[in-house]
Parts: sequence; structure tokens; C-alpha cells
Amino acid sequence: MALIAATVHAAPRGFLETVHKHITRCSTISENGDLNPYAIIVAPASVGKIHEGDVLIDNFNNMSNLQGTGTTIMRYDPSSKKMSLFAKLPAHSALCPGGVGLTTAMTMLKSGWIIVGSLPSTDGTTRTKSDGCLLVIDPNGQPVAAWTGPNINGPWGNMATIDHGTTATLFVSMSGLDVPGPDVKDARGYPIIVKKATILRIDLDIPAGQPPKIKNQTVIAQGFGQRADRDSFLIGPTGLAMSPDGKTLFASDALENQIVAIDDAPTRTTSAGTGRTITKDGLLRRPLSLGVAPNGHLLTCNGVNGQIVEIDPAAGKQLYAQWIDADQAQSPPGNGDLFGFAMTPDGKGFYYVEDDVNALVEAR
Amino acid sequence: MALAIAASVRSFATPPPAPGLAETSSNPQEQGQNPAEAAPTGPFSNLSRTGFLLGDMFGLRPMLSKAGINFSLTETSEVLGNVTGGARQGFDYDGLTTATLTLDTQRAFDWNGGLFNISALQIHGRNLSADNLDTLQTASGIEADRSTRLWELWFQQKFFSQNQLDVKIGQQSLDQEFIVSQNAGYFVNTMFGWPMVPSADLPGGGPAYPLSDLGIRVRAKPTDSFTVLLGVFNGSPVANNSGDPQQVNPSGTSFPLNGGALVIGEIQYAYPALGSMVYAGESEPLARTYKLGFWFDSESFADYRIDSTGRLLADPASNGIARSHHGDYSLYAVADQMIWRSNDDADRTLNGFVRIMGTPQEDRNLVDLSLNAGLTLHDPLPHRDDDTFGIALGYAKVSSSASALDRDTGHFTDSNYPVRSGETFIEATYQYQLTPWCQIQPDLQYVFNPGGGIPDPRADHKIKDELVIGMRVNISF
Repeated sequence: MALIAATVHAAPRGFLETVHKHITRCSTISENGDLNPYAIIVAPASVGKIHEGDVLIDNFNNMSNLQGTGTTIMRYDPSSKKMSLFAKLPAHSALCPGGVGLTTAMTMLKSGWIIVGSLPSTDGTTRTKSDGCLLVIDPNGQPVAAWTGPNINGPWGNMATIDHGTTATLFVSMSGLDVPGPDVKDARGYPIIVKKATILRIDLDIPAGQPPKIKNQTVIAQGFGQRADRDSFLIGPTGLAMSPDGKTLFASDALENQIVAIDDAPTRTTSAGTGRTITKDGLLRRPLSLGVAPNGHLLTCNGVNGQIVEIDPAAGKQLYAQWIDADQAQSPPGNGDLFGFAMTPDGKGFYYVEDDVNALVEAR
Repeated sequence: MALAIAASVRSFATPPPAPGLAETSSNPQEQGQNPAEAAPTGPFSNLSRTGFLLGDMFGLRPMLSKAGINFSLTETSEVLGNVTGGARQGFDYDGLTTATLTLDTQRAFDWNGGLFNISALQIHGRNLSADNLDTLQTASGIEADRSTRLWELWFQQKFFSQNQLDVKIGQQSLDQEFIVSQNAGYFVNTMFGWPMVPSADLPGGGPAYPLSDLGIRVRAKPTDSFTVLLGVFNGSPVANNSGDPQQVNPSGTSFPLNGGALVIGEIQYAYPALGSMVYAGESEPLARTYKLGFWFDSESFADYRIDSTGRLLADPASNGIARSHHGDYSLYAVADQMIWRSNDDADRTLNGFVRIMGTPQEDRNLVDLSLNAGLTLHDPLPHRDDDTFGIALGYAKVSSSASALDRDTGHFTDSNYPVRSGETFIEATYQYQLTPWCQIQPDLQYVFNPGGGIPDPRADHKIKDELVIGMRVNISF
């Protein structure tokens, strides 16, 4: 009985308490000097230059650290522990309004196509940003298409994806509409907040051997706050994650400091507004990327400290947070360092980027 | 409102690559051929937000980056002046250009965990503290003799999966890693970098800016919270401990190994550490770092009061040769602590620091106790995330032996020779980020009892208290 009691007592309450190691894998700086890693995804299939389990990371800044000008995607091979350049996109293209600045919005489909968001700027601030686009890249790193349109304006946060092979559904937060430069301020002296950010669902057909085609697009949530930021470029809804049952989309609403749920996200035909609040404040400090741990709990990175927070979405409760960037060169420690993260294929840990030191780290 | 919109986006989904995107190859070796790409990174472009004034340095930076090499060039220039007190009043300009080259061996040679570093200094302008102030705690951390000199030259190798151990070998400036207070680094006065005790007591002021020393440093992290630093270096950064050490080793390339040994060790505790947990509903501890350390130098140290025959040095009958002591040591503690965190603006934090260092060996040391303490407020004004306001003080206590020498001098010269005691200063500063490549920093210092109470060479009294004002500019090229 005592043994059973001890075993029950030792059962973890959540995922993060099982994570103990934080291993810096390598630099994410590209050969052309691009900086500031944002998006990070794990390849679901072996196609082209990519092996299943590879980690793809994009850079938002160029080597002068200008935001909205990064054009590279790096590939980390866990078996060889080597980082290499996967794609170098053209800085300017008529097909993507304003050029290319790769954001946290990136996904790879099982068919090998990579879709990545671009929110370009010419001066490193939202003052000169353009609407941006979603770029389609083949598994050899070649861009093949750019999606634009009235619903695509500042594709920003990490995507949620439902992938059935020949069809797929993407969820992308759009945080660019009508956001002025950081010097347009409110009465308190902060950049003005524009409540026009949306979450867009994009339904895709994926013909054999051809790039995906947009079948339908639906704004399933809208009215989130978004604003310019001198250091972070902009702040808006950033993280998206699909519930394990595939029905509910969770989103991190950075300015309201909360996680919200969009019910029936794959099927709804109307906007859910800003959704249903799951949890707010507490350990959250400007939540950014969002993901689902193997136990079904949500994980989200804080923007203004170096913590990742675990949330039980069913109970609407925060469990705890773990410091995954404790660099006291920033105040609070890790402030501004975290952005994207992605679960490892074995479910025992996660990869994340530290954009202050431009590094890929594996926690497990 | 229903917002379902059917396929209204532009799509260029026809392989091979669409014309606009296919015009530029993804082959990085061909990227330089696209003139449109050079514009955002070129020198003097996007000056309001670029991190470097010269951008890609005419293509030099990306070329080096491919080989794992990073080159940085910075300039710190300042005008400081005393409007009251001092040996005289006036303003001086001084400046420092620092060039640093690092090579990541993983990228260069596929050798994991290695870092090579070389840096050089070009020091220009005048030295206000020497010209006007005659203070112990010099007004600016970049003040030094005019020169162009090698600063650091080392190789560092990390070991184990979480870098639990790393070893650095070569010419090192100890103020970069030892006795460091994170929050003190925002201030202009020298003593917020390399503190007063080693500056006054170690041969040549110790291996700190602009000097450095050959040696080896080991850093171990037995747990995520604790770090241990231990280093062994040549006992002096110069081969000859008489005269101005910067003139003795004017180019930084003499690499002396003829002295004794300087051993320095430090244990650090930090919260948060990687992996630290914070539980919902519990109050979250504020960030902090505590350090305890020591240094021991096995060189010979001259007594401040007694000569080699046992007479007082101030005695006219003295042979003038100070008694020699073997070795010197000091203990120190450093604390950095976040004090307050704003609920309204997460970037706004108030932090405090205290650093104290002392030595019981007063016979061979000019200063036996030094203290720095202060407060820093980050993001002090709305949406000024990268600005810092700080106020701090420094104190240096002249050793009883040096004070006794002054009393002895007064006795033997039958005069009211001033007896040194201690020197205190306060500093207020505001670091304003004009652009990511340029910071402007107005600064104010007030010094009480300059030099600990040394006589004014032009008058029959001690040097009067000094008000120092000035402006520093940091530029990243």
C-alpha cells in the first residue's frame, strides 16, 4: 500500500515538471547573417531535402537586426546535430507586397509543402510594413507561390494545422491591419492599440505533385488587440493550437494577457469574435507561441520573461511555469527572448528558440 | 457576421517557381547578385532602427559570417568635466574604440563548442581624473593612457551537453567575468566595473581594462543555480611593476609570465535558473544573483608605512625602501536583486546592487575596503523599454597604514599634512537609446573628499569636493 501511495504521489501533475534538461543545440544565424529566430516547426515527413523530425527555423531580422527583413529558413538535423540553410528567399518580390520578412507563422504539410508568413518592413518598424503574404515553399527550399488578399494582412503567430494529406486546414493569426508605426501613441505614451486582428482559417486542396491551393478562407475570430512595439515589432494574437479532439482552437491574446478558445474552429462559418477566455493573467506575461503537450495541456511562452506556462484548458487553470531562459542580462530575466517552440516527435520535450543569443535549444 | 470568403486570395501555385519569386535563386552563393537585397543592410541605411551604423559593412559582415566570424566595432566617446572642486576645473574629451573578432569553431571547422576571441583598443583623448580630479575612484571606466593596444586574446572550449564546464585560455581581462555586477554596468564611473580594492592594490591595478593577463579560467556549473569560476593568471599584467603599467606594456603584447600567480575564484548563485519552477497562485520570487569570491596574488607587495630596516618611511632617516611582503589577498561579495516589477508595464523593473570588497592586510594596501551600491530603473518612461535610469554610490577606504604614513609625514615635517581617510561619490545617470546603434548617456557625479583627502598641490588645503557632469555616447558600427 505504501508503495502504491508513493507511486500515486509521485505522478506528475503536468508536463513541465518532467522537463529537466535544456541543451543548446546550435546557432540559428544563417550564412547571410540573418538574426532573430521566430518560427520553429518539426517536419512531419521526409520529403525533398527534409527528413522527418528535422527542425525548421525562420529568421525575422536581417544581419543589421532590422525586424521584418529576415529571409532565411534554417534546417536542424537531430541525427547529425547540424544546422544548415534550407531556404533563402528573395528580399523583394512583386508577389509578396513589400518584400519578405519571415514571421512565426510557419507550418509544413505531410506532402512536403511549407507555408510561411511574411510581414515585411523596410525600416524595421510597422511604420513601413506592408500587408505581407503567405509564401509556399517546396521541400527543396524553392518558393513556388505567394498568397495575398484582403484577409491576409500581417500573418504573424504560430500556425495550427489539420493535415489529411490531400486536404489540410491552416489557422493563421493576422496582426497587421491598420497598425501604425511605434511613434503613434495614445494618451499614456504607448503605441495605440488597434482592435482589428483576426484569426483566419484557410482550407486547402493539395493535388498530387502540385502545391496546395486555397479552397476556402474564413475569418473565425476577430477584434483582438494589436499594436506596434519598438523592440518586438508588433504585439498581437500570436499563438494558435488545436485541441486534441480537433474541435477547439486555442489562441494567445498577447495584449489582453489571456488564452482564449474558438469553438468549432474547423467547421464554423462565422466569427467567434475574440473567443471564450480560458485563462487570464496569473503566470501569463504576454503569451506568445502556443502548443499542446502530450497530456493535452497547453503550453505558452511568455514574451516579457523567460518562462513557459502550462495550462489545463479543460479546467481553465494554470498549473505552473518553468524558466527556460533565465538570462539576467534582460530585466525581467529572459525578457524578449522567447518566441516559437515546437514539441519533439517523441513527446518528451520541446525545441525552442532564444532570439537574444540566436540559438536553438532542446528541453527534455 | 459571417466572413467566409471563397478563394479570393492571389495564388501563384503553378510550379515551377512563379516568375517573381524565381528570379532569385535560393542558392546563397548567388544572393549577392540581386541588387535589391543590398539596400536594407547597407551602410547608413535605416538609421532609425538598424543595429549597426555601417549595416553590413559593405558586405564584410556577411562574408565573415559564412566562415563563423563575427566582427564588432564600437566607439564610446564622452565629455566629462568638473565645475567645482578638484585641482582645477574644466572639461576633457576621451574616447575608446573597441574592435572585437570572434570565431565560432562549429561553423568554421565543424568543431563543437569552441570560441576564439581577439580584441583591440584604441584609446584617445585626455584623462579628466588625472588632469583635474585626483580621485581614487576615477570618473570614467574608459579613461586610460592614449594608446592602440591588444586587449584580449583567448580560446574558450565548452564541454558536456549542457555546457556544464568550459575552459578559457589565453590573454584575458578579468573585469569581463569576475566581480561583475549586472546592474552596476550601466554607470560611468570606473568603480562600477573593476572595483577599487584591486585597482589600488594589485600590481598594475590588476588584469583589467585596458590591461589583460595570460592565464586559464575554468567555469563549472554543478547545478543550474550555481556556477563556480576559478582562474590562475600571471601575478601582474606587466613585466615590471615600477612606473605606469600602461606605459610598461604599451601595446599589450609583452605577454609577461615572469611574475607570481594571481588566483581568483568566485561562486555564484542565481535565481531564476534554467528549469526553475513557478507555481500558480504562489508569489513569484524576484530575480537575484549573489556572488562570493576571493583573489590571492603571490607577488611582492611594498609596505605603506615601514621601510626595510623597520623605520617609518616618513622618517628622514629612512632608507626609502619599503618593507616587502609576500602575497596579498582580498574577499568580496556581490549582490544583484530585483526589487520591484510593475504590474502595468512588464518591462519596468527596479533593481538594486551591492558590491563590497575588503582585505585585512592593511600594511601593504592603499585601499582596504571598497563598496558600491545603487539602484537601476529600467523602462523609466512610457515605451522607453531600452532606457535605464540609475543612481549609485561608491566608497573607498584608505587603509590605516596609508593614513598613518600621512600622520607620520605631518609629524616629521611639523606640518598639518592632510591625513587620507576615505573617498565617497554618488552618481546619477540616464542611458537613453536614441537608436539601436546609438545610446546617449548624460551623467552627474559628486565626489566627497577626493583622493581620500589628499592635499591640493596648488593650495594649502585638501582638494575640495567635485561636481562632475558630462555626456557619453555609445555607437555600434
